[in-house]
Amino acid sequence: MSVYLVRRVLQMILVIFLSSVATYALLSLAPGGPLAGLRQIQQSARFQITQEDIARIRAHYELDLYLPVRFSRWLIGQPRGPLVIGGKEFFSDLVIGCSQPIEEGFLNKKSGAYETRGTGCVKYVHLQDLVGRRTSRGIMLGDFGLSWRLLRDRPVSDLLWSRLEKTLQLIGLETLLSILIGVPLGVYSAVKQYSKFDYFFTSLAFMGSAMPSFFFGLLMILAFSIIPKNAGLPYLPPGLSESVRDYTIPLLGTIAAGSAADRILHLVLPVSVLTLINISFWSRYIRSSMLEVLRQDYVRTARAKGLKETVVIMKHALRNGLIPFVTIVVFTLPGLFSGAIITESIFAWPGMGRLYLLALGDNDYPVAMAIFFILAVLTVIATLLRDILYTVVDPRIRLS
Amino acid sequence: MATNTINQIAELSGDAITLEERTPFQIVMRRFRRHKLAMVALVVISVILSLTILAPYITPFDVQEINVGKYFVPFGTVDEATGRTHYLGTDNIGRDYFSRLIFAGRISLAVAFISVMISETIGIVVGSISGFYGKWLDAVLMRFVEFMLTIPTLPLLLIIASMLLANEALIPIPPVILNIIGKIMLLGPRDARSAVLIVLVLSGLGWMGSAQLMRGMILSLREQTFVEASRSLGASNIWIILRHMIPNALAPIIVSASLGLAGYVVAEAALAFLGFGIQDPVPTWGNMLAGTQTYMFDRPWLPLVPGLPIFICSLSFNYIGDGLRDALDPRLKL
Repeated sequence: MSVYLVRRVLQMILVIFLSSVATYALLSLAPGGPLAGLRQIQQSARFQITQEDIARIRAHYELDLYLPVRFSRWLIGQPRGPLVIGGKEFFSDLVIGCSQPIEEGFLNKKSGAYETRGTGCVKYVHLQDLVGRRTSRGIMLGDFGLSWRLLRDRPVSDLLWSRLEKTLQLIGLETLLSILIGVPLGVYSAVKQYSKFDYFFTSLAFMGSAMPSFFFGLLMILAFSIIPKNAGLPYLPPGLSESVRDYTIPLLGTIAAGSAADRILHLVLPVSVLTLINISFWSRYIRSSMLEVLRQDYVRTARAKGLKETVVIMKHALRNGLIPFVTIVVFTLPGLFSGAIITESIFAWPGMGRLYLLALGDNDYPVAMAIFFILAVLTVIATLLRDILYTVVDPRIRLS
Repeated sequence: MATNTINQIAELSGDAITLEERTPFQIVMRRFRRHKLAMVALVVISVILSLTILAPYITPFDVQEINVGKYFVPFGTVDEATGRTHYLGTDNIGRDYFSRLIFAGRISLAVAFISVMISETIGIVVGSISGFYGKWLDAVLMRFVEFMLTIPTLPLLLIIASMLLANEALIPIPPVILNIIGKIMLLGPRDARSAVLIVLVLSGLGWMGSAQLMRGMILSLREQTFVEASRSLGASNIWIILRHMIPNALAPIIVSASLGLAGYVVAEAALAFLGFGIQDPVPTWGNMLAGTQTYMFDRPWLPLVPGLPIFICSLSFNYIGDGLRDALDPRLKL
């Protein structure tokens, strides 16, 4: 077991490292970024941006360093300067970047396009120049660097922390409700297979799992917010996590902005959209795994020895039927952090999913990358957790 | 006379004993027809497909045609000047909803179909290699596939789509492909470029499931006697894969492809809805739905116009997949 765990953890670290390489490769491919628009400004006579200004900005965002060096600083926060052993500095003249590249424009004869290409370097960056430069502690140690656009030059982690609570609220509640409602529904419909309820419910669940969440979200806003409001009936707020000013709902009276009632009312729509869609997937899953278990010999034995049907189902069938379901529940862990992108964006919910979308739309790649990286790490952890949980709920499975 | 009667009797009894011979296709079709909802779904999809194929002939207006001053006209308004009808009204800048909807369907469905074809092909190739040759290649490929399958799809899809679309001009795509895709979707080469990128993103992330499926099938087929027989007759690996394994593994692949179509229609719409897909002047169901979001407070029926086709297509492809699964292999679980 412990050998297995050690091997798995080593594998996990490898996977996390590889995914960080992939993430960083994407990040460095990204156009736009902090230098976007600088070229246009450079042309205009009003601003007079000099070569030194550009070099300074490039140094600020570490764009003057070569890719491997940049990657290493992003990952583990090293190197920060020359290697110091016993008071002596080594490699201080090592070239690690270029602060003023020579860019030549030329005509690409094949495609006919005008291209600029770096052809040399006026001023190199050496290892000793890194001393005193601001640097992150590295993403491996939980420092995600600075935001480019959304909160310019503020730590990405500030942004993440500010959004985490709302996402946990939303997804936590959704997961809880989905389990509480979805499991009994799935079990009931398996026990009463081919009954009217089963037919009705399975076809409803089938439709639910084919329903795109963005369309469903809009329909819910229509049905519970816009139409009742226009008709003068009690309605639910269609967006945001709390209201900016007090508002009056028929029958419920005036609701103060930011009060508990206000927050709960705002939670209802997004949570029910997520929950309903989730239930349609989970309950179908539980139904089919319960059906399989109910056909097993030990269930027949339990019935044959005269146990009550409720005991047979609750004690013998359900516990075995839920084993595959563990996998699914464990994989809500990444979602708890990353949120629900579509639903959050429809309901303007200030959570992590919407932050991710905003960051991608605004070219704030450090933020998007941080979220994606944490998501990948959580996924890897969830995989390990699932395999361990399997042995807990089903002692027949051995890890090796 | 007597021999004639005997012959007739023999003929009749022969008919009674031997069943009418059916091809596997006929058997599958017979079983498929029993699934009522799948048949309905097939009809619905056929109607939608033929509408989108006939798009240039049945749409009264041009996709980009703006009727100045005629914003949000109600359903069935007739344009006095030309006598053409706005069957579903117009949008916020006076473009005909019906025409845009049909053309959008053409683009959305074409994206889904092409993505399915590419991703199933990749899945079949990777799955076959992984299952047939095994060893470390299998281990590496399957670990990768497993990891990719566990990562939530939408964040991955969004991040790659946003990177690709931002670097749109830098990605080399052969003009031939742009031309073909442009012809299919009735787009100019520039708009076809982003459609191709969306297809690439969707199929690039969509092949893993079918690769796993294919690998599983190959692993179980590898032990079958007919493969052994074929090998003892001197067949090469490639021949065995192409001639024996892929045809035998086709049933689950077809089912996963039809379910995949539903997934791709929704995924493409989701990307466009969130602003990371094909952009506005070119209509797709997703970006049309996103466009209605601002106006739905005054015109509550508006989101239904582009939203319902997405839902109907997704549901129909799911039902067809369900019916195909029952028809091809009732024990199959996906």
